[in-house]
Amino acid sequence: MISKLMKFKNYRLRTKLIVTYVLLTVIPISLLGYIAYSQYTKSIEEQVGEYIPKLLEQANENIANQIRELRKFPDLLYNSDEVVEVLRKDAHQSRSSLLQDEFTVNSYLSRTFINGGSQDILGVFVISKNRIFQSTKIPHTNFGLMDYSQSYGQDIQLKTDDIFVLPHQTSLRFEGNPPFVLIMKQLTDLENRTDLGTVLIAVNVTFFEDVINEMSEEGKADLWMMNKEGRVIYHTNPSKIRTIDREFAMYPQINGSFRTTQEDASRLISLNHMDETGWTLAHSVLAGNLTEQTDLVRNATIAVFLVFVAMSTVISILLAWNVSSPLNRLTSVMKRVEKGDFDVDLAIGTTDEVGMLANNFNSMVTEIKDLIRENYQIELKQKEAELYALQSQINPHFMYNTLETIAMSVEDDEKDTVIEMVTLLGRMLRFSIGNKEALVPIADELLHVKDYLTIQKIRFEEKFDFSIQEKIESQNYYTPKFVLQPIVENAVKHGLAYGRVTTIEIGVCLVPGNEGSEEIAFKVKDNGSGIKKETLADIQRTLASDPMAKRDSHFGLSNVHARIAMNFGSGFGLDIISGVDQGTEVEIRIPVLKNGSEGGCHELKEN
Amino acid sequence: MKLFFSFVCTLSIVSACAMPSANTGKYDVIYSMDEVVHEKTAAEQEEQITIAVIPKVANIPYFNAAEEGAIEAAEDLGINLLYEGPAFADAAQQILIIEKLIEEEVDAIAVSANDPEELAPVLLEAKEKGISVVTWDSDTIPEARDFFINMVDPETLGRHLMDTLAWNTDEKGEFAVLTGALSAANLNTWLHWIKVHQKEHYPDMTLVEVSANDDNSQRAYASAKKLLKKYPGLKGIIGNSSVGPPAAARAVKELGKEGEVAVVGLSSPNPMNEYLKDGSAQIITLWSPKKLGYLTVALTNNAVNGIEPFDWQDIAKVGKIRMINNMVIMGDPMDFTKENVDQYDF
Repeated sequence: MISKLMKFKNYRLRTKLIVTYVLLTVIPISLLGYIAYSQYTKSIEEQVGEYIPKLLEQANENIANQIRELRKFPDLLYNSDEVVEVLRKDAHQSRSSLLQDEFTVNSYLSRTFINGGSQDILGVFVISKNRIFQSTKIPHTNFGLMDYSQSYGQDIQLKTDDIFVLPHQTSLRFEGNPPFVLIMKQLTDLENRTDLGTVLIAVNVTFFEDVINEMSEEGKADLWMMNKEGRVIYHTNPSKIRTIDREFAMYPQINGSFRTTQEDASRLISLNHMDETGWTLAHSVLAGNLTEQTDLVRNATIAVFLVFVAMSTVISILLAWNVSSPLNRLTSVMKRVEKGDFDVDLAIGTTDEVGMLANNFNSMVTEIKDLIRENYQIELKQKEAELYALQSQINPHFMYNTLETIAMSVEDDEKDTVIEMVTLLGRMLRFSIGNKEALVPIADELLHVKDYLTIQKIRFEEKFDFSIQEKIESQNYYTPKFVLQPIVENAVKHGLAYGRVTTIEIGVCLVPGNEGSEEIAFKVKDNGSGIKKETLADIQRTLASDPMAKRDSHFGLSNVHARIAMNFGSGFGLDIISGVDQGTEVEIRIPVLKNGSEGGCHELKEN
Repeated sequence: MKLFFSFVCTLSIVSACAMPSANTGKYDVIYSMDEVVHEKTAAEQEEQITIAVIPKVANIPYFNAAEEGAIEAAEDLGINLLYEGPAFADAAQQILIIEKLIEEEVDAIAVSANDPEELAPVLLEAKEKGISVVTWDSDTIPEARDFFINMVDPETLGRHLMDTLAWNTDEKGEFAVLTGALSAANLNTWLHWIKVHQKEHYPDMTLVEVSANDDNSQRAYASAKKLLKKYPGLKGIIGNSSVGPPAAARAVKELGKEGEVAVVGLSSPNPMNEYLKDGSAQIITLWSPKKLGYLTVALTNNAVNGIEPFDWQDIAKVGKIRMINNMVIMGDPMDFTKENVDQYDF
């Protein structure tokens, strides 16, 4: 149990809530319904249990009255002196006188019992000294001397006044098989105190039927009369007549009623004992029949119960879902955050605890996002610082080549060339040193590139040429420092080819931008060997990816692109068009940056 | 699975509530008016009742027949019977017998009293001792007994006896009465109604003498002879007690007066069988003394068991009885003639 509780503790919150709600509604309602129904049923059973024994007593009283009446019938024989005289005679007479006696008695029996007696008398038999006198209303079979302990050639001597011979004790049957009992009475010669014989009156017990059927309510209940041994004398189900109620001996000895289970069905049995005969009248009804009317109540209760359970289940599921679903969403959102996606919004439109939780979560994520951004910016600054440190230096190779060229010029004593180169180099160095400002006029940047290209032209003489076209007032527009130099260096490095003149064209112009405003575009075009398709794709992928990621190759290009993209947004940066043996064109786009207040929409973020 | 678990929990809780009522045995009594009381217990039956029946006199056919009936009843009812009578119809001897029975602590005494007054004290004594006292055949004073078992209505009997004589004497002439003891209450009552009936209906008839014989056959015979000689014109004799008619018939037969003198009266059929057939007696009237003996024992037994007789009560093997003023009447008198006398055996 404890382990189960522990297990339950670990169930999902929704399950717990549903189980709890359902238990809270189902248990009280079912208990209430059960108690109400069982009490109702019980009270009905008690009422019936009290009512039926009283009816039985009444019925028994009626039957006892009838039996009392019937018991008087044998005495009618004493009324006829003629009959008594015949019965006093013994059987040792001539045949004719025997037959005459038989006629006398039989006609008296017919007159008195069959025609004049009760409706219920089926027949009368008088056994006297080996003679049988009889008269019956309907034909019968199997009545013989052998039936009645005449096997010893003697008359019957009854200890008691009269007895009832039940159908199972005789083989006598009447046509149509009506249920009957025999009232057997000793005929005593009252004067001489000797036995005259025995009279048996067959009585149809359908008079039970009249009394009993009144009570049986259209066959819903079984009623039967049984004797002391539980032998059934009359039953509403005719096939049970003459059988024995085997449980009779075990029944409580009461005039009353009790509940018992027979054939897997709960029955209400009522008994009433008849003192007159020692018989018991029993009434048995299925408890289910009694409570038939209450079944409607029960079914209605069950229906209401089911509706309630369904409703409460639905409500509990809704409630549980209401609580657990935001939590589930919170969980999944948290997972996303965990994976680094901070662009989440947990929208829960409520102001309850869950809504508060969601709001707090949202603000927490925002806060985290800001913190991360801050850290990111710091890192960016450091990177830039590094870049500046790198960029602010003139490439040592270039320096070496330039100085080599100067040295050769000195050797050749080309004084003017030396002076020009030294002047150009000095100006470049000065541009490099003056790196305090992030933005410089485009004219300065172009001049720096021109200096660089001029030196290269001096170095390579006829093998190299370049042109710069300014289509704007380059003095009035600004650009981040060193955006052109790495590109141009790249173009020189990759564009130089033996056997032909390498030309680098640089253009600056205003182009229409994405949002209708104008942008500045630098174009650096060479006529070199171009870039292979795969390499180009690789480069473009590198440019499109996170500008902060570390990379080893294409440092110059990506550095420029990253700086522009980071400062002005992803809409700006580098674009490369190239093909094998078709040369390479690199376009650099930056927003229009003007001097002073008319500087346009974009301000370079100051470091 | 969880839902199933919770359902099982619910069901077990609900069914636990249902359990107690189902567990209380196979028969759950809802309502009981009363317990069924079967036969008396064996202990009650073992206590056998002793009933003493005392006739007026022992060893006459009438009382012998009564004894037979009493014995039959005692057998039927399973009681102990003492039948003891005096040698002569004498109250004093009956008193002795009763005193002895009181000492024996019988449960009931039924006595056919020879004298209504003399027996009263001893019967009262018996009653004080808690013995049920009834009288039969012949009564005492009412205070001395619970009830009296009479064979017939004395008025009916007395008038009927007078009628039977009148039928055989053409309603005229002298007649005499042979009675038992002069003190016997029943005989005197009958005699009274004989006289009343004669005066009312038969003015041409005359009662010449009432002769007492104390139920002694020899004396009765002697009286009858004496009467026949004393009154030569005597037309009939009524025997008012059972010894009378046989004695009268014998006297008539011996004197050759069959047909001249009618003999009627109270007597048993057996001793009169011959006389009726040879014409020395015409009609005798009686009840069944066997039946009387049976009824006496049956009613006395009832009285011991606290059941008093009531009007139209049906007594097994006897029939219906009447009850008038503390007097039980067994039935109507029967007439025996030469035609039907063979049917009877007492």
